[in-house]
Amino acid sequence: MRINFLILLFLLSGFNSLKSQIVSDILGDESLFYAETKQVNQFFRRFNNEEGPDGLRYYKRDKEYRNPESREKYLNILFDYKNTALTTNLRDAFKLDVLNPDSNLFLNFHSDGWFAEVKTKFIYKGAEKSVSFFLELEQENMGYKWVITNVYFEPYSEILIERKVDSSKFLHPMSHEIDFMNLIKVFNDQKNIDNYTIKSFQPDFLTLFLYEFKQGYFQFKYVENLKFHFFQIPGWYFEIEQFVRPENNSGWLISKLTKISKEEKNILLKYIYHN
Amino acid sequence: MKLRYIILTFIGLISLSTFAQEDISPERKQAIDSLAMEKVKDLSKYISIIGNKETSFSEANRVIERTLELFAENSQIGVSSLYRNEVKYYDVRKYLNRLMALNYDKVNIKWYNIQYISDLERQPDGTYVGVITIYQRFEGMQGDDLKYVDTTKKDITIYVKRKETQIGGRTIGFWDVMLGDIRVAETTKN
Repeated sequence: MRINFLILLFLLSGFNSLKSQIVSDILGDESLFYAETKQVNQFFRRFNNEEGPDGLRYYKRDKEYRNPESREKYLNILFDYKNTALTTNLRDAFKLDVLNPDSNLFLNFHSDGWFAEVKTKFIYKGAEKSVSFFLELEQENMGYKWVITNVYFEPYSEILIERKVDSSKFLHPMSHEIDFMNLIKVFNDQKNIDNYTIKSFQPDFLTLFLYEFKQGYFQFKYVENLKFHFFQIPGWYFEIEQFVRPENNSGWLISKLTKISKEEKNILLKYIYHN
Repeated sequence: MKLRYIILTFIGLISLSTFAQEDISPERKQAIDSLAMEKVKDLSKYISIIGNKETSFSEANRVIERTLELFAENSQIGVSSLYRNEVKYYDVRKYLNRLMALNYDKVNIKWYNIQYISDLERQPDGTYVGVITIYQRFEGMQGDDLKYVDTTKKDITIYVKRKETQIGGRTIGFWDVMLGDIRVAETTKN
């Protein structure tokens, strides 16, 4: 136990593959498990420097709790080093903002600004299909629970998002005087139905999913993939995913990182939700 | 075994009180972690006994019943492999029965000397929930040949609940720990 503890300290002194190799040669598989960010909970704790190299939690009374120097070392090991898009400059700019003593930027499990995207497999009308769920933590009584906020299902998107705009398709303004008898033309024109809805119409996939699920069209198979989107650090967006590989740089790591403005945040959210 | 749980419970977790749901102090969290780890170690030991071909059928079945006592109702085990996206979900009893039926002459199960214990989060019903991560190496032998080896990461749900009991006419509150769903993911395969 003690040697593993020292080895993680050694790894935290700066990340490079030579060090990883030395450690692996000494300890075999076990060193990898120490270095791996094993749970999302550990990602939070390492990001905030709220645990020691032995994985034991620091509490507010502990001297090392959120210590900025150790925190910088932890931040260094929380990136996917195989992703060339996460350049040194980008990582350094992010770390500079996060570690700025004036801004006090920490991740908070119970706060808004982060959510899960869970890709699942279902049998839908006889065929295997992927359904992505977006979940957030919601407080209830004194506790918390994950709740579904949104769903993405490609067959819905194909029908409802890719709208065919045709300005010749409308219900004329005197339709009411003829008891809307011209609706027959609307409903005989399946492909163009979108053109007859209000401009601001946004399909709600969650309602659709629940309706069809209750009708028995969906049968759950398994969870295929999971990632988390973070907007808790002002001016930044990052995504974490789990990397299963026999290397020290494994487990829950930052897989995407980008600087964003407030306006870009809304665009990015629309992109994530496939709206 | 049960005696050990009771002793641990009463040393580390006892409180004489009515049932206010207080936050868990760092000291109490450590005591709960120890109790949870005891249960996880027992699970590890039971799995090794059930998987051991030298264990008789009746003994294996007896140990399966003991194992099930560690778990909350309706707990499941979700298993995935490195080369397959699909996760298979088993009731705990079914998982243990499959383990017992594995077609190897000998099974070695090694538990790595590492565990990670998450924070405890409170659910809406007042129960606390956490996850303990452990690693296991499985070796299946046929004769002297090593037929199958893998290393898995096991993320084990633990439920921590305040309960009360009457001792000598006094109401004693204590924290009880049960195991819940387990996610088993292969990390390496030979």
